[in-house]
Amino acid sequence: MAVTTAPAVSPATFVRLKLRILGNGLRGSTGRVVLFAVGILFGVSGAVGGFLLLAVPGLLDDRRVAEIMLPLAGALLLFGWLFLPLIFFGVDESLDPARFALLPLSRRTLITGLFAAATTGIPAITTLLATGGMVWSAGLLGGPVAAVVQLVGVVLGLLLCVAVSRAVTSAFSTALRSRRARDLATILLTVTAALLGPLQLGVLAGAERADWDRVAQVATVIGWTPLGAAYSLGTDVAAGRAWTVPIKLVIVLASIVGLLAWWSSTVERAMLGAASGGQRTAKASGSRSAVARLMVRGLPQNRFGALVSREMRYWWRETRRRASLITLGVVGVFLPVSMSINGGGGGFTVLFVGALGAISLANQFGFEGNAYAANVVAGVPGRTEIQSRAAAFSLFVVPLLIMVATVVSLAAGHPEDIAARLGTLLAAYGIGLGVVLPVSVRAAYALPSTSNPFAMSSGGGPAKGLLAMGVLLGAIVGTLPMLLAGYLIGDVWQWLGLPVGLIYGGLAYVVGSRLAGNLLDRRMPELLSAVTQR
Amino acid sequence: MTVPLQRTPDDDVAMSLRGLVKRFDTKVAVAGVDLDVPAGSFYGVLGPNGAGKTTTLSMAVGLLRPDAGQATILGYDVWADPAAAKARLGVLPDGTRLFDRLNGAELLAYNGLLRGMAPDVIDQRARELLDVLELGVDNRTLVVDYSAGMKKKIGLACALLHGPRLLVLDEPFEAVDPVSAALIRDILQRYVTGGGTVVFSSHVMEVVEKLCSHVAILADGRIRVGGTLAEVRGDRSLEDVFVQVVGGRTSTGSELAWL
Repeated sequence: MAVTTAPAVSPATFVRLKLRILGNGLRGSTGRVVLFAVGILFGVSGAVGGFLLLAVPGLLDDRRVAEIMLPLAGALLLFGWLFLPLIFFGVDESLDPARFALLPLSRRTLITGLFAAATTGIPAITTLLATGGMVWSAGLLGGPVAAVVQLVGVVLGLLLCVAVSRAVTSAFSTALRSRRARDLATILLTVTAALLGPLQLGVLAGAERADWDRVAQVATVIGWTPLGAAYSLGTDVAAGRAWTVPIKLVIVLASIVGLLAWWSSTVERAMLGAASGGQRTAKASGSRSAVARLMVRGLPQNRFGALVSREMRYWWRETRRRASLITLGVVGVFLPVSMSINGGGGGFTVLFVGALGAISLANQFGFEGNAYAANVVAGVPGRTEIQSRAAAFSLFVVPLLIMVATVVSLAAGHPEDIAARLGTLLAAYGIGLGVVLPVSVRAAYALPSTSNPFAMSSGGGPAKGLLAMGVLLGAIVGTLPMLLAGYLIGDVWQWLGLPVGLIYGGLAYVVGSRLAGNLLDRRMPELLSAVTQR
Repeated sequence: MTVPLQRTPDDDVAMSLRGLVKRFDTKVAVAGVDLDVPAGSFYGVLGPNGAGKTTTLSMAVGLLRPDAGQATILGYDVWADPAAAKARLGVLPDGTRLFDRLNGAELLAYNGLLRGMAPDVIDQRARELLDVLELGVDNRTLVVDYSAGMKKKIGLACALLHGPRLLVLDEPFEAVDPVSAALIRDILQRYVTGGGTVVFSSHVMEVVEKLCSHVAILADGRIRVGGTLAEVRGDRSLEDVFVQVVGGRTSTGSELAWL
C-alpha cells in the first residue's frame, strides 16, 4: 500500500465544499429555495441600503461627516456580527470542525479553510457590498488612492467581523459544554452585554445634545481601536494623514490573527470533545422510584405532567436550549435596564423582551430531532403536546418576565408601574406564543447534531430564522395597542394593565395553541420527517 | 352484544400490510408491499441496505405516511384509527434518537405515563426491566452517554413497558455486542412464547435463522419471498436463498487489484 504525499489543501476546497452543501440542501425542495430567495432578497436590500447610506458623506463632500460616520458604522457592524449570531441566528456550521478531525490536515490549513468558507455566505457578501459605500465615499473625498486604501480596509473589516463571530460563538459553545463552566459563560455574556450600556450612553448623549465635537472625539478614538480602525483608513488618507495607515493596518491584522488563534484553540478542544464524548459520572442515587425521578415536583402524575416534566428537564439539560434560555435571561434583563437608565423608551424594549421569549419556541420540535417519534408512537394528541410544551417553557419565562417588570420599573424609578408593565410583557408573550406555536408545527426544520448550540444547518435553516423575525414583528405590532392604551388612559392603567394584559395575551395563546394542536394532529408524520436529519 | 366491525380475531393476523407505496422525491423507496404476519409468529424481514425495510416498518407503525396502501395492526387500521392501533403496539425505531437527556428510569417513566399507565405499575415494571436488561436500577447516567448496546436495550425496554401484543423492532441487533444480543434474543423468545408477536428487520442471516418462525425477503421496495422459514429456505441455507433472490454480485478477482 503506497501512501502518496497529498498536495496542500487550499482554502478554495473548503469554499467549494460549503457551496456544494448549500446547493445540495436546496435541491429538490421548492420551499427551501423560496426561503433562500427571501434570504437573498433581505441581503440585497440590506446591501443596497447600506451602500447608499455609507456613500452619503462622499456625496455630500463632507470629510467631517465621513470621519464620524465610517468608524461608528464599522463598530456597529462588528457588534452586529458579534451579537446577532448569539441571540438570533446561530452561525452556519455546515462545515462542522469535528467532521475534519480524522483528516490529515494541519490546524493552520483547517482554520484558514474554515475561515474562507465562513466568509462565503449571504451575511458576509451583504456586509462587503454595504461597506462598499465607504469606498465610494473615500474615493469622492480623497481620490483613487484613498478609495484603494479604503477598499483594503473594508475587506479587512469584513475578515475581522467574521473572525469575531466565529471565535466568540466557538468559545462560548465550548464553555457551555461543561456544567461547571456554564455559570462562567453566563457571567461573561452578562458583562459583555453590560458593556453595551456605557457605549450607548456615549452615543446617545452625544446625539441628543448634537454636540458633534464630542461625537467626533468618540469616533476618532474608535478609529484607533480594532472596532473602527479598518474603516477609517480611507478618510485618513483623504485628510492627509497617510502615516496612520500602516499603524492601523497593524492593529487590524493583529486583531484578526489573535482572534483566529483563539478560534483555533477552541476548535481543537471542540474536536477532541466530540471524539471523547461528555464525561458524566454515574452516581447511585437513593433508590427513588422511576416516576418520582422523572416528575418535577407538584405536577400531576399523568400524561400532561410527564410531558411538562420532560420538557423542563430538556430546557436545562440540552445545550442548545440552555444556551437560548441563558441568552434570553441576559438580554431580557439588560436590554430594558440599559435603555431605561439612558432615558430611552423602556416600554418598547419591554415589548421586545416579551415577544423574544416566545420566539425561542419557533423551532421547538427541531431541538430534540426525531426523538419526537416516541410521542408519535404513543399517540399524544396535538393539543396536549403543544400545551405541555408551552407550559414547561412558561414555567421558566414567566418568573423571568416578573423579574424584568420589577427590575425595569425600579430602575426607571416608577415602582407603581410594575403591575401594568407585567401586563404588557405577558400580553406580548401570549401573542408571541399565539403566532409562534402554529409556525413551530408548520416550519420546523432539522438542526445539525453538533455540540455547538449556535450551529445552524445551511440551506433552509437560516432562512427559517427570518420567519422567527417575522413572528417577533407580528407579536410587537399585536401588543402595540397595550402600550397605546397605557399612554392614553393614564393612571387607571396602573390597575387595568395587568388584568387586560393577562386576558389579551391569554386569548391569543388559546387561539394559537388550538390552531397549532389541530395542525399537529393532521401533520404528525410530516413534522417528524421535517425534524429528522438526513 | 354487538361485534366490532373492523376487528378480526386476535389469533388470526397480527399485522397486515396491503399495497404500501412510498416515494421520496423521484426515488421509489417502497413499491407496493403486501405482508401478513400471523399472530404468535416471530417474523424476520430481511433485506440488503436501502431495500426499504425501515421505510416499510415506519409506515406500518404510523411514523411515516404512505403514498398509497393500508396497514392494519391487530385488526385496527393504523392510519384511520391510530389511537387503538398504537395502544396495542410497541416500537423500536432504527436510527431514531430516544429522549436521550433523560436517564434510563426517567425515560421509562415518561413512556409509561404517555401511555396512560398507573404510576405504581410503571415503577414496578421499570425496576424489573432495568434489572433484567442489566441497565442498573439506580443508574443516573443520561441515555445520551449510554453505549450503543445499552441504547438498544433501553429502547427495547420502552417498547415492552406497556405490555403490547405486537412488537415492531427495526434492526434490534445492530451494533449490539454478543452478550447483549443473547439477552435480547432470550427476552424476545420468552415474549413470543407468552403469546406476543414480533416483527423485526435485520440483515444478519444467523440471527434470523436461529429465531424466526417466518421470514420475508425485501429488495428494491418489494417483497421477493415470504412465508414460514421452512418454506422460504427449502433445503438450502438462508444465505444462499437471500443472495440468489437479491441478485448479489460475485467478485471476479480482477477489480481492486491494488489491494
